Amino acid sequence: MGTLSESDTAQLKAQLQDAVTSCTDRCLYQSAKWAAELLNSLPSSDLTSGSDTDVDSPMSDSVPPQTPMRPLPKDRIEAQLEAREMHKFLLAKTYFDCREYDRCAAVFIPGTLPKSSTNLSSPQSTKGKPPAKGKAKVATPTKTKSTMDSISGLSQKAIFLALYAKYIAGEKRKDEESEMILGPQDGGVTMNKELNGISTILEDWFSNLASSGRQGQGWLEYMYGIVLAKGKNENLAKQWFIRSVHLYPYNWGAWQELSSILGTAEELSLITSKLPQNLMTFVFHVYTSQELYQSTDQVHTELSQIQDIFPSSAFLKTQRALLFHHTKDFDEAESIFSGLLQSDPHRIDSLDNYSNILYVMGLRPKLAFLAQLATATDKFRPETCCVVGNYYSLKSEHEKAVMYFRRALTLDRNFLSAWTLMGHEFVEMKNTHAAIESYRRAVDVNRKDYRAWYGLGQTYEVLEMHSYALFYHQRAASLRPYDPKLWMAVGQCFGKVGKYANGIRAYKRALVAGSYYDAGAGSSFGSQEGVSGLGGGVLDPEVLYQIALLYERLNDLQECAAYMELTIAQEEGPEYEEYNPMPGEITGVGVTPTTSKARMWLARWEFMRGMYQRSMELANELCQDGVEVEDAKALVRDIRARIEREKDEGARAAVEAVERRFGRKT
Amino acid sequence: MSRYLTPQKISLLVLVSLYCDSVVPSSATIPILSFIVSHLIPAAPSNSHKHISNGSQDAVSSVRVFEDVSLSYASSIPGRTLLDLFLKKMWEITSFDALHSFFDSLGDLLVRTREEADRDAAGGIIAPPDRIFLSRISPLGTFVRRAQLEFTRLQFHDAVKLWFAFLKYRAPTAQWTRRVAGVAGSGIDINITDLGLQPGDGLFEVAYGNLDDTDEVEEMVSLDDIDRMLDFQVDRLQRLGCRLPDDMEEQLRNMVGPSGTVLRQSHLVKFFDAWRAGDYTSAFDNLHRYYDYAMQTRDKMHYQYALLHMAILQADFGCFSEAIAAINETIATARENQDMSCLNFSLSWLNHMSKAYPKQMKGAGYMGMIGSERDGLIFLKAKARETKMYSLLSSTLLNEAKLSLSNGESVPRAFEHTYQAAHLNIRENIISNYGGQMLLQSTIFSRLGVTHLSSVYCEILLHCYNINSPIEENVRAVCRCAYMAAQAGRYDEGLSMLESIEPDVHRTLKLHQYIVSYTGIIKVKRALRRADLVACSHLLSQLRSGAALDPEISFLLSQCRIAHLTLSGRFSDAFNLIEDVGSELKDEGADLYQRISMLVAKATLFAKVGRPEKGFSVALRAASTAYRARLMPCLWEAVGCVANVLNAVGESRAAGRLLDAVIPQALESSDMALCATLYSFQADAYMGMAGEEDESTSTGLRQRAAKVSKAELYIDSARESFKRTEDIQGECEMLAKKALIAKLRGDDKLAEDWAENYLRTRDAAGERDDSADGAEGWERGMGRRNGEGEG
Repeated sequence: MGTLSESDTAQLKAQLQDAVTSCTDRCLYQSAKWAAELLNSLPSSDLTSGSDTDVDSPMSDSVPPQTPMRPLPKDRIEAQLEAREMHKFLLAKTYFDCREYDRCAAVFIPGTLPKSSTNLSSPQSTKGKPPAKGKAKVATPTKTKSTMDSISGLSQKAIFLALYAKYIAGEKRKDEESEMILGPQDGGVTMNKELNGISTILEDWFSNLASSGRQGQGWLEYMYGIVLAKGKNENLAKQWFIRSVHLYPYNWGAWQELSSILGTAEELSLITSKLPQNLMTFVFHVYTSQELYQSTDQVHTELSQIQDIFPSSAFLKTQRALLFHHTKDFDEAESIFSGLLQSDPHRIDSLDNYSNILYVMGLRPKLAFLAQLATATDKFRPETCCVVGNYYSLKSEHEKAVMYFRRALTLDRNFLSAWTLMGHEFVEMKNTHAAIESYRRAVDVNRKDYRAWYGLGQTYEVLEMHSYALFYHQRAASLRPYDPKLWMAVGQCFGKVGKYANGIRAYKRALVAGSYYDAGAGSSFGSQEGVSGLGGGVLDPEVLYQIALLYERLNDLQECAAYMELTIAQEEGPEYEEYNPMPGEITGVGVTPTTSKARMWLARWEFMRGMYQRSMELANELCQDGVEVEDAKALVRDIRARIEREKDEGARAAVEAVERRFGRKT
Repeated sequence: MSRYLTPQKISLLVLVSLYCDSVVPSSATIPILSFIVSHLIPAAPSNSHKHISNGSQDAVSSVRVFEDVSLSYASSIPGRTLLDLFLKKMWEITSFDALHSFFDSLGDLLVRTREEADRDAAGGIIAPPDRIFLSRISPLGTFVRRAQLEFTRLQFHDAVKLWFAFLKYRAPTAQWTRRVAGVAGSGIDINITDLGLQPGDGLFEVAYGNLDDTDEVEEMVSLDDIDRMLDFQVDRLQRLGCRLPDDMEEQLRNMVGPSGTVLRQSHLVKFFDAWRAGDYTSAFDNLHRYYDYAMQTRDKMHYQYALLHMAILQADFGCFSEAIAAINETIATARENQDMSCLNFSLSWLNHMSKAYPKQMKGAGYMGMIGSERDGLIFLKAKARETKMYSLLSSTLLNEAKLSLSNGESVPRAFEHTYQAAHLNIRENIISNYGGQMLLQSTIFSRLGVTHLSSVYCEILLHCYNINSPIEENVRAVCRCAYMAAQAGRYDEGLSMLESIEPDVHRTLKLHQYIVSYTGIIKVKRALRRADLVACSHLLSQLRSGAALDPEISFLLSQCRIAHLTLSGRFSDAFNLIEDVGSELKDEGADLYQRISMLVAKATLFAKVGRPEKGFSVALRAASTAYRARLMPCLWEAVGCVANVLNAVGESRAAGRLLDAVIPQALESSDMALCATLYSFQADAYMGMAGEEDESTSTGLRQRAAKVSKAELYIDSARESFKRTEDIQGECEMLAKKALIAKLRGDDKLAEDWAENYLRTRDAAGERDDSADGAEGWERGMGRRNGEGEG
């Protein structure tokens, strides 16, 4: 995908510009900000070509996206309506800007909203067609009718603003009614009480849409999608979001909501075909892939293509850094974030991710600096609090860290990473119940957060509830199938609950995943689960040892011994030709406690089998390594004794016979 | 504003850690340690002057102070001064994280606990042998631990603020860093250097852009510093009774103001300040405010102190009944809370009040607490001994001495008490009581008539103990000196002494009134002597308006008023006034000295109206009482009166003998007016004796001539003394007598000369005073002369 032609660029600019104004008009500030940032990240060029005639696709190859444009001159009816209610609209908007949400809503929709909605209360009943509202209408009192009458004469813009104000007012009230974070009353179940009313109005409006001869603009569809998503009516919400982005693709909020609904990569690929083909879809695809931890080469390429168009977009750079983060390429991610920080020092968005990276890398001074910087810009942003919390966590001041995560959550209850991180801190503080609740809330906010799932599993393991933990580890592993750590956890749990065969499979999966990352080959993932199929690189001796132990449990001592041998082999690295096709490339892990344990096991095993010579070798190796010397020496003594005894068996038998005959002395 | 930590404290910590690293050579150990400690522990008050100059250290000492103290010492590392090492440590804090690490590492300075020692041993960590470990409860140890604790308590953004303040604080030493190898080059923050940022870059501006701002005070002082400063202020206000200097007040406002956190003590400071300024309402308001805020944090512990302050405040503004109500409640509360010190103090104060303002206290319904006053004192003394409150004991002893003096009891006993108090003051270092003791000693000596010793004690107080004694006592000493100078006729000297009192003192209303009253009294005295009736009545009316509550002043004033009435010839008024004052004093059980003075005044008045013999018994009683109480000045005056009476009844010889005995002593007291009067009485006596000589015999004639010339001699002496006190009337009288004597001798020319001299003196005085009552004086002068002629 090359650069855009000049006219395309100009058009893109015009559209983004329009998006900024439209979003601002509707008080969708975040979306407006996003669009404006994107607008300014285009390479600057002269704005000579102003022709709006060509509306063709800017993308050339793989997926030719069609134009996202609706003709800029708007719907005539809407324009007329908007012109008529201009003054009222300005009034409402100023109210909104002054945070008087109810007053803002009352400008266009006076009175309270009707209180029933079939879609919200019973999501099951209305799968599919939203306008099928016959029952609802019967049920709603006449008030609905009057409200409907009053809004039918309004432009969509006005309705959107009014409903959005209602929604925000509801959110505000919800926050006010919520208890202290993790307090006794904080169940996380407080509902936005305006949703019902908004939903009803929108249902009616959409049912009347066809008859009124007007066309949707995408905004009300977006609103309805939000309401549905809040009511956990996700399939329907998905449809409405897709409808919304078809009608108006430059509303980033809609894309974001859509992305947050998608739980797996499969879902993403399912809906891709339903989406409009344009630039925004591309961005969406990259973003969602990132959110779903799909950091494949393909995503990287797509991202690069978009970055060609928006070379200086901080958003896209952040996506890139996060992709690196997912593949544990911290250095790369760190350098990208560092660059971002320098180019836009006041930007706080996703600094919490940056702080996670610094945390993992253990760069304390830098993390402190970042925290200081974020605090200087705005100390009451959840991101800032997370950065500070991470810093304290790195300093092992867990109480303070929890305090800051709690603050982050007070600022924004849906701030995912704070929930998860707080869970981690609670684990550190051995407060398992709080940890479980924190993780649980994180998962409730976003089901895609594998760290929270994993944390839940870990915590239950601490509580010795292994079968319970197993479930969570499986969830985590399904979210990130290429993370050996998660598979190991699964395997461990299987081992604990006595499903050894399953455990062995999980461990083998972990081996595969580990080799997948080590080899760095994205496409090499397959169904090879055997030992022989493993790619180059060192296998995790710990995993091998665990597999061996499980085989031991299954009484398959041969297999067990084989894995033990394999574990020891990892010390040397892939010099053993039979395990490694590319010798000499990577050195081994050296002597570790695990390999020593394996060696010990093997020595004992050989001893049991009567292979004293081999056993002696292994035990002597142990003595050389200086691990478990005492045991090893004891073993050596034992072996010597056995060998001696075998030699002197006859003599000793005679002596014993004598002793038996005369009785023991003393 | 931070609670405790400031960049200055971080610098101190750096010094402490240097000390612990044993890089401070032994020669520098004591100076460095005392420097550190002087910043941590408030200095104990003492009498040395040096201390005060040190004690007035800036709460916000800049890093330069550290430079100065450390530059002068070499370290034990060759070629490095202590400053180098200090700066190295300071600049090793290269990032915010390094600051955290610095505070984390502070724990290593402390003596290992057992677990830590075990852990160290397990980890194979062996401390270098010369390392100094701080004990946990040593001053430095507590400082280090407190600093660590406070740092842990800091919220993140507060810690960032501290970091910025530290950067600002450290900035001036950047010039030195070149000297320190390894430190040079690293900028303010290692991250900035790593990222290759320059001032002006966006990121730099966000991170450190506000470093150039000049608002220093914000983070440089902590609440702890301000707390200490306010405590110091309160201590001074309370102990010395002065007011806040204007510039200090402004500085305080700047420090306390912007932080938004108002400390309780600042209300207390305001309260004291308003009190001293005589602003009753705001003093009252601030006192209430202070204790309201104090209630917030502590329980009822401070209630009695609030009441005590309230009582003192009320009494100071003359609301005695409220004061008594408050103090009674104080006593009750203190008793209830077992707060002995408060209880004893209130009792002592009550005792003092009933002594100082007996009439007002009685009027307000105070009945006295336990029997007599003496019992009260004994009770207090016992209590003070019991609870080891030496300050109270010392002041009770002084009070006892005062009591025995005013009751006219034995002087040695008074001395004994005074010396006991002095001993206590020295042994227990009760510096605030030195002033009272000096004043009392001065009083004793002045009552014994040893005026110069009395003034010497005042001067000792002024020169040696003025720093720590309350301003009020200083002022009293100055006033006393001035009064004594005025008694000796050195009016200008006395007035200039009063004027030379620092203007700051005048900002305290009470002291201002005190000084003004004394100035007025000295002026009235002079006007009286100069027979300047207009000025006199004017001044008196002025002084009455500022009617001082101080009993001492009011007594002096009544004396002046009596003298004024006498001078203006309103004898019956004068007599009534004497009677009133006398009976009042008697009711109050006032100082014996004052009561005797009234008796003497009565006798003098009788003499003035020409019936000295009527005052005989009065004068005799005064003399005998004064003798018993060893009130020498009164005794002399009374003896003078008696002699005058004797003269009048013709017992000149006896009068002469009495005066002969008294005059030499009186001369020592340097009360010129008294001397002049005594001389003139002596002259009268000799004239009387001359009249008794037998005229017929030659020896009689010779004797008469000798007596007359002796009389003339005394007249001359009297004239001299009158002249020195600028007593025109007396001087004229003496001149007239001289003229009369000359006439008696028949030397008309000489008589004429003296008469002319008389006129000249009177005219000169009249010109000087430019007064209209010259004629009157003349008339009276003539009348007196005539009267004398008759005699």
